[in-house]
Amino acid sequence: MRRTMLYLPGNNPNMLLRGHLFGADGLILDLEDAVARSEKDSARVLVREVLKHREFDGCEVTVRINGLDTEFWRDDLAAVVPYGIHGVRVPKVETPQALANIDDALSAIESAASVPVGATKVFCLLETALGVWNAYDIALASPRVTAIIPGGEDLAADLRTSRSKEGVELEWARRMMIVAARAAGVDALDTAFPRVTDEDGLRRETEFTKQLGFDGKSVIHPNQIPIIHEIYDPTEAEIESAKKIVAAARDAAARGLGAVSVDGRMVDLPVVRRAEFTLERSGAMTERGRA
Amino acid sequence: MSPIETPRSAQAGTVESMDCLVTVTASGGGRRVEISGGGTSRFRDVMEKKINQVLDGLGERENVTISVQDNGAVDLVLGARVEAAYLRFREAIGE
Repeated sequence: MRRTMLYLPGNNPNMLLRGHLFGADGLILDLEDAVARSEKDSARVLVREVLKHREFDGCEVTVRINGLDTEFWRDDLAAVVPYGIHGVRVPKVETPQALANIDDALSAIESAASVPVGATKVFCLLETALGVWNAYDIALASPRVTAIIPGGEDLAADLRTSRSKEGVELEWARRMMIVAARAAGVDALDTAFPRVTDEDGLRRETEFTKQLGFDGKSVIHPNQIPIIHEIYDPTEAEIESAKKIVAAARDAAARGLGAVSVDGRMVDLPVVRRAEFTLERSGAMTERGRA
Repeated sequence: MSPIETPRSAQAGTVESMDCLVTVTASGGGRRVEISGGGTSRFRDVMEKKINQVLDGLGERENVTISVQDNGAVDLVLGARVEAAYLRFREAIGE
């Protein structure tokens, strides 16, 4: 599950060491925007040591490296990939060719560090109009790509606009991201909500992006985590209904039937899939196995 | 006398909570380690051991003074800051 992925500033020991305690599904150790240019070297060493010596309570651990247009990204990868991270977040990906460069660099480091080649996944940040336009091709450019993420501030700037409270300027890019991600078979993760004290705004935006189809959202403050989880977690009623649907579908399959009716509603394959997804989110599917 | 003064020290870290500020300065008479801060009296031996271990690993040949202003840094943070400060020092002196 990637309901929430919490950014942790890469030069801040306090946050790096305590970040896993806030209950996010994933952590993003940030070497990019959260670190001043003069501190890139120091943050890289600190993040490497944290990865080497710390456990993260089952969180999915990723590192946001510096952009491919900087002199830092290769050193970033070399410092963190040997220590078994789940993936890297790559900023400002614009073309499938960028993935070829990342793929080659990752494979070389993995190979030298006895990490299985291909184990390090790539989360692509699409923060320009060109990146959004190429979303589907980028998502398919390497089997390492596991998620695509629209930009926030950078994308708004590239679109020659600014971020509004309603987020209308990002709406098309977000819809595009969902279609591209689903077509390519990767996750769609939403950009962070920037106003950390605006809980109502976060709630509204998350309800909207969940309805669009996003699998989760980046988080820049621990207080945002429970709000997003509450929106993503299925209710008891939804779980009970999903259990009924999956059970009815199993029964129908065992009896060689196609569609069946549950509580007066026809249950066909898309409904069963949605019910299974609800149970996956609730954790129930891990006990029951797939129908 | 050279018209350009060679930098003789470098720093890494901060004085924030759970961090430490490490200063590396050139010195001729063997490696010296100076530690100040809240938990210093209880953890001095452990901290000195970590600092020496990192410097030995980086090939430091006992020509520097390391000053640590500690604000509750755990072992790995101390090691990371010493490494970053020492690498900056080496870069500053042109090694």
